[in-house]
Amino acid sequence: MSLPTSRHSHSQYSNGYSNGYTNGHASYYREDSWAMSPQDSKYRPKFRKSAYARRRLFLKLGIIFLVVFGFSLLVSPSLRFSVFSAVGLGYTLYKDIPGVEYHDLSLYQGSANGWQKGERILFLSPLRDAEAHLPMFFSHLRNLTYPHHLIDLAFLVSDSKDNTMGLLNELLKKQQSDADHNQWFGEITVIEKDFGAAIGQDFSNRHGFAAQGPRRKLMARARNWLLNATLKPHHSWVYWRDADVETAPTSILEDLMRHNKDVIVPNVWRPLPDWLGNEQPYDLNSWQESETGLELAAKLGEDDVIVEGYAEYATWRPHLAYLRDPRGDPDVEMELDGVGGVSILAKALVFRAGAHFPAFSFEKHAETEGFGKMCRRMKFTVIGLPHYTIWHLYEPSLDDLKHMKEMEEQRLAHEKEEKEKAEQKTRLEEGWDIKKDKDTWDKDQKEIINAALKAKEVEKGAMPVRGAEKDTSGKTPNQDLRGSREGPIAHVDEPGVGLLTTEDEEKHGQVVGHENGRVKQNKLPVEPVKKEAQFA
Amino acid sequence: MGGRLQRSSPMRLLLALIGLLFFLWWMIHPSSSSTSRTLNINLPDSAPATPTAALTPPKIAPGVNIISMNNLSATANPLKNSERLLILTPLARFYDEYFENLLNLDYPRNLIDLGFITPKTHAGNLATLKLQDSLRKIQHGPKKSRFNKITILRQDFDTPTGQSEKERHAMKAQKDRRASMARARNSLVFTTLSPTISWVLWLDSDIIETPPSLFQDLAKHNKPVIVPNCFQRYKENGVWKERPYDFNSWQDSETALNLGKTMKEDEILLEGYAEMPTYRALMAYQRDEKADKHVEMLLDGVGGTALLVKAEIHRDGAMFPTFPFYHLIETEGFAKMVRRLGYQPYGLPNYLVYHYNE
Repeated sequence: MSLPTSRHSHSQYSNGYSNGYTNGHASYYREDSWAMSPQDSKYRPKFRKSAYARRRLFLKLGIIFLVVFGFSLLVSPSLRFSVFSAVGLGYTLYKDIPGVEYHDLSLYQGSANGWQKGERILFLSPLRDAEAHLPMFFSHLRNLTYPHHLIDLAFLVSDSKDNTMGLLNELLKKQQSDADHNQWFGEITVIEKDFGAAIGQDFSNRHGFAAQGPRRKLMARARNWLLNATLKPHHSWVYWRDADVETAPTSILEDLMRHNKDVIVPNVWRPLPDWLGNEQPYDLNSWQESETGLELAAKLGEDDVIVEGYAEYATWRPHLAYLRDPRGDPDVEMELDGVGGVSILAKALVFRAGAHFPAFSFEKHAETEGFGKMCRRMKFTVIGLPHYTIWHLYEPSLDDLKHMKEMEEQRLAHEKEEKEKAEQKTRLEEGWDIKKDKDTWDKDQKEIINAALKAKEVEKGAMPVRGAEKDTSGKTPNQDLRGSREGPIAHVDEPGVGLLTTEDEEKHGQVVGHENGRVKQNKLPVEPVKKEAQFA
Repeated sequence: MGGRLQRSSPMRLLLALIGLLFFLWWMIHPSSSSTSRTLNINLPDSAPATPTAALTPPKIAPGVNIISMNNLSATANPLKNSERLLILTPLARFYDEYFENLLNLDYPRNLIDLGFITPKTHAGNLATLKLQDSLRKIQHGPKKSRFNKITILRQDFDTPTGQSEKERHAMKAQKDRRASMARARNSLVFTTLSPTISWVLWLDSDIIETPPSLFQDLAKHNKPVIVPNCFQRYKENGVWKERPYDFNSWQDSETALNLGKTMKEDEILLEGYAEMPTYRALMAYQRDEKADKHVEMLLDGVGGTALLVKAEIHRDGAMFPTFPFYHLIETEGFAKMVRRLGYQPYGLPNYLVYHYNE
């Protein structure tokens, strides 16, 4: 009934149903109906005809329009272009020209469910002396749930003294020759560029206060070089990720994308050894601006850079990191002014519009914090997720290392003490071993008896037996200490290890042992003891 | 009901059928509607352009592209080192003279990449089409005369006002217009600046006459950013004369700096308006016809009509601010940012390029 004649629907109604209904019901409705009047039925045939004619007229007009439109599409390239670009097919008009690429940037705006629409992400990682982190980093890459072929990887390897480049190549080649096609990534670019970094990359160097300004300007340059060299018109999203992230959800790209914000960062914490309290906020560069911060900024020189997280610059800003609640809703959003660079998802249009990582002091900030400030200045939304956390690798600082060394020493000292105590205890117990005492007593008794017998024999005038006081084997026990074919006897301090029995000694029932560094010698014939035991 | 069916003409049935088919087609291909569009590009040249091509992984794994940027040079003699040049043009309108002039540049075309960005307007569409025709001729010609690569972009944002001469220079509209221009420039440079490019030459679509050796002449000075003087030819009483056109290249003045200090953060200083006397030393007025063409001068603000930039300056992050940056916007803000990054822009007051006369 949605034909162009809807204006006359009531008359159609009467037409349509007058035949079917019996007088009683139909007339009842007709009388009640406000629109019905005898005149309607009077002019019915005429009305029907005109409605029908009208319909045909519309139809004709429509067909004529379509024909004209189709014809003009064929004739006018301008109209064709407008129409084609309106439905996203503008590029087809350039297909026949070699060397020409056409892109309608409106197609690459980025949306909340980009993985369903085939939106490409540029995945960027600046690397410096990162060889140790690469295997872990690649395991993260492999686990990403975003369609891999929509992810273009780009790395910048700068000023590396280790084998970052070699290992990166090897891992990338392995990744792209994976048997599983869904593991293959899109375009991969590795860029080598040295900036002559004067500042070392280990934790304390990196995070010392004085090093922060120049270091961050340098990092900013590196990021910009990487971005500008690899950002293509067809990217809808850009994701920045540091290589030293230890734990992150595999669906992090989708999770962040779902919020459909211009710039979005998760919370970044790091695990700690239990003596430091198990965990700690790591990335303090994600914050909201505060009055104190602005006042401080106004006082500083043009080239000064405020770095967050140092006592020298107390800004009293609300940090994303400190607002974390482990049981909080991971979708809670918070507006930010500065962002950290560990994991940033941004729409490509943000970078296309010109936002970058200032390698100079922009509103007293540089690099990622300056990026946050610049995005705000350009009226983009900058969002942090306080309860959605990823975990940065824990690298102990020099102080931590010192402390850990001390702790290790303490632990060793403690263990040694414990061991000594235990040994003393066993020695004490051994000393009061009744059976052993009894054995000794029996032995002594036997010897006394023997001695008495011998004495009697001597008294009787018999010749003493030569060699009776001599060891049964010709060996001196001291020789055994030097070790044997089975290995050296050097395990002095370990309980239970130092007991060594050579074949010879075993044969003769002689056991040489040593305890606590001193040699203990039991010249005890085994069998006689058993026999003697029967006496007892 | 039999009667109804009888009265439904075959035409109506046909229409209903067409409607149904259309609905089914729409249901099966939701991607073709403009509200939820699936991108149809996959990796360049690797997949057929079906509406959902982007959703299927490619058949062959893309390789690893390793590029060392340590040896990338931008020297006074670009031809000797085969340094690659990127010529960028925000294309609001297409002038045949502009394209002819572009073709007259005598730097080898296999070392030149071109980049264009057009506004989302009817004029923009027309310009793209004219460009398309011109490019088709060149790119189907002999290999030697082809440009290495050409990228044409269509803006993803709206241009604020019309582009007629009067509207363009109305002071109020300037800020929005130039912010939009800046954004177009940024979109263009940051998506086309591939890692092997050494130089970026900004050439406006209304620059219709330059020396053929424009690039080499400017590069010879080996400056991070260098700008020639932009003039305009006009006819007065049947005689051709020339007059300064671009007033955005200047040296700063105390007056302008003090004026800036009294301004609110989001206000901008503009050049060439009587309401706002800045007393800056404009390069446009420094021209001396008799003097050497290659005289240099230091600049604090630059114009974008013709502008040569070493690619590394853009790579360090120098962009065209879309917001008031030290009360400056677009190319003037660009010069300020270049200086904040520790580089110095230069100008050539006696080296001329010519603007189209409307």
